[in-house]
Amino acid sequence: MTTGTELESHFIATDLGPEAPEDRKVASKSPTQLALARFRKDKLSMVSFVIVVFYFLAALAAPFLVQAGVLNPFTTHDELLDANTLPLGGFGGISWDHPLGVEPGVGRDVLSRVWYGITFSLAISLSATLLAVIIGVVAGIVSGASGGWIDAIIGRIIDLTLAFPQTLMLLALSSVALAFITEVLGVPAGDPARALYVIVVLGLFGWTGVARIVRGQVLSLREREFVHAAQLLGASKMRLYFREILPNLWAPILVTFTLIMPAFVSAEAALAYLGVSIHPPTPTLGNILRDSLSYAQNDFVYFFSPAFLIAVIVVSFNLLGDGVRDALDPKGHQ
Amino acid sequence: MGIKLRRSVAASAAAVLGLSLMAACGGDGTTDEGPESETSTAGGTLKVLQHFPYEASDPQRIYYGVQLAWYRRLIYRGLLAFPMSEDPEEATTPVPDLATDTGTSSEEGRVWSFTLKDGVKWEDGTDITCEDVQYGTSRVFANDLITGGPNYTLSYIDVEDYPGPYKATPAQQQAFEEAVSCDGKTITFRFNKPWADFPQAIAGMMMTDPYKESFDEGAKSQWKVLSNGPYKVEGGVWEKNKGATLVRNPEYDPATDDPETLRLALPDQIDYQIDPSETSGELFNDRLITDAPDVQNAITTARVVPSQFAQLEGPVLDRYLNVESPYTQYLTPNFNRLKDVKVRQALAVALDLDGYVKALGGDKAAAPAESIVNPSVSGYQPNPAFDGDNSGDPEAAKALLEEAGVEMPYPIKLAYPASPTADKAMAVIKEGWDAAGFDVTLEGQGDTYYDVISRPDDDFDVSWAGWGADWPSMMTVLPPLFDSRPNFSPTTCGQDYGCYESDEFESLVDQAANSATVEEQTSFLQEADVVLGEEVAYIPLDTSKFNWLWGSKITGFTTTAASSSYPEIGLIGVTE
Amino acid sequence: MWAYIVRRCAVGLALLLALTLVTFALFFASPVDPARFACGKNCSEQQRDQARKALGYDKPVYEQWGNFVKGVVVGRDFPADPELRAAAPEVVTHCEAPCLGYSHLNARTVNELVKDAAPVSISLAVVALVMWLIGGVLFGILAAVTKGSFMDRGIVGLTLVAYAFPTFFIAVFFLKYLAVKWQVMPYPAYTSIEEGGIAAWMLNLLMPSFTLALVFMAGYVRMTRAFVLESMTEDYIRTARAKGLQGRKVLFKHGLRAALTPLVTMVGLDFAALLAGAIITESVFAYPGLGLLTVQASAAYDLPTIIGVVILAGSFVILANIIVDISYAFIDPRVRLG
Repeated sequence: MTTGTELESHFIATDLGPEAPEDRKVASKSPTQLALARFRKDKLSMVSFVIVVFYFLAALAAPFLVQAGVLNPFTTHDELLDANTLPLGGFGGISWDHPLGVEPGVGRDVLSRVWYGITFSLAISLSATLLAVIIGVVAGIVSGASGGWIDAIIGRIIDLTLAFPQTLMLLALSSVALAFITEVLGVPAGDPARALYVIVVLGLFGWTGVARIVRGQVLSLREREFVHAAQLLGASKMRLYFREILPNLWAPILVTFTLIMPAFVSAEAALAYLGVSIHPPTPTLGNILRDSLSYAQNDFVYFFSPAFLIAVIVVSFNLLGDGVRDALDPKGHQ
Repeated sequence: MGIKLRRSVAASAAAVLGLSLMAACGGDGTTDEGPESETSTAGGTLKVLQHFPYEASDPQRIYYGVQLAWYRRLIYRGLLAFPMSEDPEEATTPVPDLATDTGTSSEEGRVWSFTLKDGVKWEDGTDITCEDVQYGTSRVFANDLITGGPNYTLSYIDVEDYPGPYKATPAQQQAFEEAVSCDGKTITFRFNKPWADFPQAIAGMMMTDPYKESFDEGAKSQWKVLSNGPYKVEGGVWEKNKGATLVRNPEYDPATDDPETLRLALPDQIDYQIDPSETSGELFNDRLITDAPDVQNAITTARVVPSQFAQLEGPVLDRYLNVESPYTQYLTPNFNRLKDVKVRQALAVALDLDGYVKALGGDKAAAPAESIVNPSVSGYQPNPAFDGDNSGDPEAAKALLEEAGVEMPYPIKLAYPASPTADKAMAVIKEGWDAAGFDVTLEGQGDTYYDVISRPDDDFDVSWAGWGADWPSMMTVLPPLFDSRPNFSPTTCGQDYGCYESDEFESLVDQAANSATVEEQTSFLQEADVVLGEEVAYIPLDTSKFNWLWGSKITGFTTTAASSSYPEIGLIGVTE
Repeated sequence: MWAYIVRRCAVGLALLLALTLVTFALFFASPVDPARFACGKNCSEQQRDQARKALGYDKPVYEQWGNFVKGVVVGRDFPADPELRAAAPEVVTHCEAPCLGYSHLNARTVNELVKDAAPVSISLAVVALVMWLIGGVLFGILAAVTKGSFMDRGIVGLTLVAYAFPTFFIAVFFLKYLAVKWQVMPYPAYTSIEEGGIAAWMLNLLMPSFTLALVFMAGYVRMTRAFVLESMTEDYIRTARAKGLQGRKVLFKHGLRAALTPLVTMVGLDFAALLAGAIITESVFAYPGLGLLTVQASAAYDLPTIIGVVILAGSFVILANIIVDISYAFIDPRVRLG
């Protein structure tokens, strides 16, 4: 529903079913170059790629720009506000100094806040995605490689995880889990604990799709010659799977990654709306948007900017994911 | 507990900061309305748009200011009530309601008696008896089942180890019935200490309201309503997330009442619509601004938020009122951590209160406060420690910190209930304090906020809090918030969030409690407030202002001290 | 076949049991004392102890879990403490099986709370489902048959953009502009069918359901499109085409049927997940469904309600899975052997 995390499974299911025959590329001579070439020809994907790279560069640069004083997400300017505490001058108070205007109420620079907000939003969603992918890959490999009761147990754990209502758990667990994180794990209360909570919970509920795909891949790779060869040479089973099979899984993992990531960007925003994610004054796209909702009618620029930035990154990541998948698997999807 | 603004106290805090209020009292000329100027006619349907659910509709469990005020006008009459007067003095002076007079006291305020009027009835047609009042009073003691309401009577009524009527042994019940005794229609309350302003306490709150024993189902009565006022709840049950439809109560006899003073009861029907969500209050007011057809006969519990102030112009101003509220916000330094008075003074001196008020939405939303005592409380005076400049003086603060010889930047953790508006307002405080040599970390908290900050081992240096007096006496402000004796327990500092403990302050409180007259009591408490100021036991922030809108078919809209600056529902009528 | 159904149900039951166990473990692992919030604010130590007893929080977690499971099977009485029940029989509340718990804060059983809220969530879910299914399938087919055209790109792109904007942003936008500013839509307030008839029920559900449907639409459009395209390349379609069947006929008679089967699985699972309440949509539109119930319960730390709703939601999903699996078994006998 609302976090969009449900959607992620659709995209994956549609675009890359467990039976997707990745092995064809594995066998070809220079699959990477071929895929790259195909990718470069796909204009839409290239544009998405550039946008995604741009977001990441912006996210990386922001802390330095804040340090250097170029971005100023915390300084208030009540001289730029009218008696109703709306920005003076219309259009959200846009000016040379404040290209996206200033925040109603306290007059902080909106561009600085959303820019810096991208850093925190991407940091959270990227970490959560990495966590989900790591858990998913390990569970998938172990499950596919071991078979038998281990496979069955992991399968049940996946069923169990999927049975939990995700958004509901994210919200309901927050007070309990935050207390646990701060009091038992000793993480400082406030933003670090909240960020950790969001990352861990998104990761813990988001790995199942990855695990299923990886397991499928492992099952199909299991019968291939190089695996047999390694086995004959006496490689231990698990070592074999992680050493020999993992490198062959990078393609589906990459695709999955690009599809989970945008879902988690949306999820962070939804959690911020519910008051669960990092709190201001530290900006995230979600918590800026939460505040800006009140200004839908009176300060449209402020209302629209954070939502637009979220939408752009989500769309770009999804298109990028499509492009990567098409490039890697030109047969499947036109 | 101070009278609640909204939801749990914790949430009410968020509400004060998150939603905003108005600047009334003719301050900005937006309010030319008065009930007198309009013709009020009976009939029609009034719609009440409410943005939060109540916690109960059982009289002994109610603590929201607006709910106490409105239920008193609509369904639950009390022994006494506050009049619907726009004069604050009059509106805070109790008058008889179910009782024949405002009560007689003896033994220096240790004994109070009231006599019930003839002909007052429940909605089922039975008479309201003295035993009903006695029973209602006893229910408060069952604080495992009848939770949430004010419990002042527990410490006053002269009975020990009484567990409430459900679990009392016959001997315990006997003891209670001696302390609160019935003689025909006369009920007598016997206290273990003087209670000079008992009439004020029971006019606004419902801890001694009658309750019919045969109607009682303990905790299961939480949402049942047996009315004795001009309206009754259709179906007899208040639905938490939906509200109720109130229709005329045929058993109510206006002759036993004083409708002009206490309740005009003009509409024939009152439809409550409860939309409990974070956005609903703002959206109610969006619709009221446009005067949409379906809200023209509506009033709301939700205040206009700052983002909507710009839309309050032209004809909307005819349906708009900005009033100062009885709720005051403040900061409490944590005395377990900030032991040096100079550091606390530096915080007070560096506070950019003007910027803070602006972040709350400007002068329509709040007024800078100069004491924790709200101006509507009798005996209010600005605290000399805080009546200076409101823009903050970082240099003077820095000097104080240097005098204190502490290392700068001095780290400060500031806790508050998070909401978008509060987040901004606290950012302004942080900016001012940072400039003065502090290094502030903001710690926005969730809905269990007050529970968190009342822990003595919390590591917050400063906490935000809000308070509304239960009745307009400083006795319901200073002692509940700063007297360590009723507040401290092994696990909590109670409502004394800063864990403040002072013999000087407490002895003044004792003298006030034992004062024979209200005047004497007030002067001791004024002195006590000065002590708090000198030690910087609190730093006053703002007095909330309430911004109200109503539909174009509403008549008689005003607010009174008796309605906690919420709409005075007893005066409101509907045209057509 | 019966053996398979029994086996599948047994697994589902075991999963349900595990779900309750994990839920209890999660919520009671925290150092927060749940009784602290059970009796509201200025709660004395003694009140807290009483609340703890009334709710059974004084017992170890496994025992509370046992009581919960027992309650689900045979029902139970509240307060949990037998002493309290004996002392004041008039305050005892019986909670019929399957008992999901008792909310001290609401003084009602969780079953009653759910009974009030569920129709709202179900209505929302049903109308949204119809919207996204019709929209998703139609647009998906349209995109597939116009593959590569401006239309195809437009449909896929627009639904993706609608998905990419946060739900609460879209919801607030609809409310503030469509309902309040332009007043082209009535301001939605949940009206049950008994109260206002089908028309009012439907009209009030349009905006919130559409908001919700937008979240799913993009996925269904893409899925339908992909399945249709994929099945168009299948051999039997080619055969049909080669036999001289018209393009459209081939599409609807052969391609679509094959394409829509996997869609049904998705629908079942998505719908089941939605039954537990659309938290954000319900919050923004103030629809008193299970989602809003959860929001309120977690704000007030009303553990019994939270746990009850989580477990209810989980059982919807588990049940939907069973139904999907069994219907597959009917369609494709090979499944049973696996």
